[in-house]
Amino acid sequence: MNGEALGGNVLFNLGPLAITDTVATTWAVMLLLGLTAVLLTHRLAVLPARRQTIAEGIVAVIERAIGEVLPAAAVRRVLPFVATLWLFILTANLAGLIPGVHAPTRDLSTTAALALLVFASTHWYGIRAKGLRGYLRHYAEPSPILLPFHVISELTRTLALAIRLFGNMMSLEMAALLVLLIAGFLVPVPLLMLHVIEAVVQAYIFGILALIYIAGAIEPEKPLDAGNSVAVPPAPAVANPNDKEKP
Amino acid sequence: MQFDWTTFVLEVLNFLVLVWILKRFLYRPVLDVLDARQARVTDEMAQAEQAQQAGASLKQEYGERLAHWAQEREQMRQQLERELGQQRVAGMERIRQSLADEEAKARVRDAATTAAHEAELVRQAAGEAYANVAAMLKRLASPGLTASIAELLIEDLAALPPAQREALREAAAKVGAGGAADVAAAHPLDASTVQEIARSLSTAAGQTLKIAVVSDPALIAGVRIAVGECLLHANLADELAFFRRQDGEG
Repeated sequence: MNGEALGGNVLFNLGPLAITDTVATTWAVMLLLGLTAVLLTHRLAVLPARRQTIAEGIVAVIERAIGEVLPAAAVRRVLPFVATLWLFILTANLAGLIPGVHAPTRDLSTTAALALLVFASTHWYGIRAKGLRGYLRHYAEPSPILLPFHVISELTRTLALAIRLFGNMMSLEMAALLVLLIAGFLVPVPLLMLHVIEAVVQAYIFGILALIYIAGAIEPEKPLDAGNSVAVPPAPAVANPNDKEKP
Repeated sequence: MQFDWTTFVLEVLNFLVLVWILKRFLYRPVLDVLDARQARVTDEMAQAEQAQQAGASLKQEYGERLAHWAQEREQMRQQLERELGQQRVAGMERIRQSLADEEAKARVRDAATTAAHEAELVRQAAGEAYANVAAMLKRLASPGLTASIAELLIEDLAALPPAQREALREAAAKVGAGGAADVAAAHPLDASTVQEIARSLSTAAGQTLKIAVVSDPALIAGVRIAVGECLLHANLADELAFFRRQDGEG
């Protein structure tokens, strides 16, 4: 086990750029997701067919999950970023199940890139929601003394995002590799099942944490006595159509 | 653990491109379809609500109309009952009047029947009475009585009222001069009486008439003279018959 095994292997050079297997796998995942999206959304109709139902199910579930955290007005704005995080990380994690293919998320460069995007999107959505001054003001609340702690929190949680996903996926593949080397055929199957679960859980955790960070950034300012009031959960972004049909 | 800046930058770009791809080919089309379906559901719900409201309105209208019809039906039923009552009263009155009329007619019929029966009884009684009288007169009749009646006849011929005298003369004129007058007598008449009758009769008739005397016991007592179509009654049987007719007409 060396550093190259934990990182990406350079497959070829594209000019000055060294293309690693991580990037290549990411492109494959992008291609797969893009083709799947095109296939599922081909000839959409108001009365859905089976493929359209799958696409609508995926989007509706993600939208509802986002709507449980964010205000309704912000759901559609945040949905592309958070949904892509979930779909990409999930697919990338599951890519590790293919023999000879490493999950892109076992590469710290990938998880760091995703964490950086979450960091940037948090500020982007926060500034769009509150304005630059209003967004920056929340770092000095409730007291300017807490400003350094807010900054440290921003950095550490971004770092934690990257390290958590990287560590889990790297350790999972490493454990699977060790078991495969020791026990041989069939024994790693339960571990592969664990890989599937872990892939789903990690994708969900990364996405939900990003969602929570974004929600914290765009959350409207509370009045001073807000601590004494009972928090009202945000309304779902899209109401359940079944609920509307009820009298 | 190896960190590669090239991979890092490429992964950032890759993710941003993937966000664009999925937004372009997955999120936006699917969300548009969901919005369209939601709008359609909302429209259909609104239409259904409008239809429901229209149905409720129609139901209320029909209910009011039914209530109005029920009220009209009740009023018409009451009016019909009143008319039936009036017709029943009028019919009962008509029936009562008809019964009274029938009763009156029956009373009249009974009275007429009773009167007719009484009249018949009276006639029978009168007939029997006259029969008894005739029987008694037959026992009392005698040639002397016939002669007395003949004398009364002769007196009456001399004092005939002008109308009877004129009728006698017309009848005698039809018989002609020297015509005969039939004299029926209940008892034989003596010659003087016959001559006196012929003389008185010729005087009354204004011309000489021959007398042909025949016997007729049915006259009981007295005579009957026939001059052509004129009859002179002077006998008990004709008198009884006269009184009997008078009684019957009375």
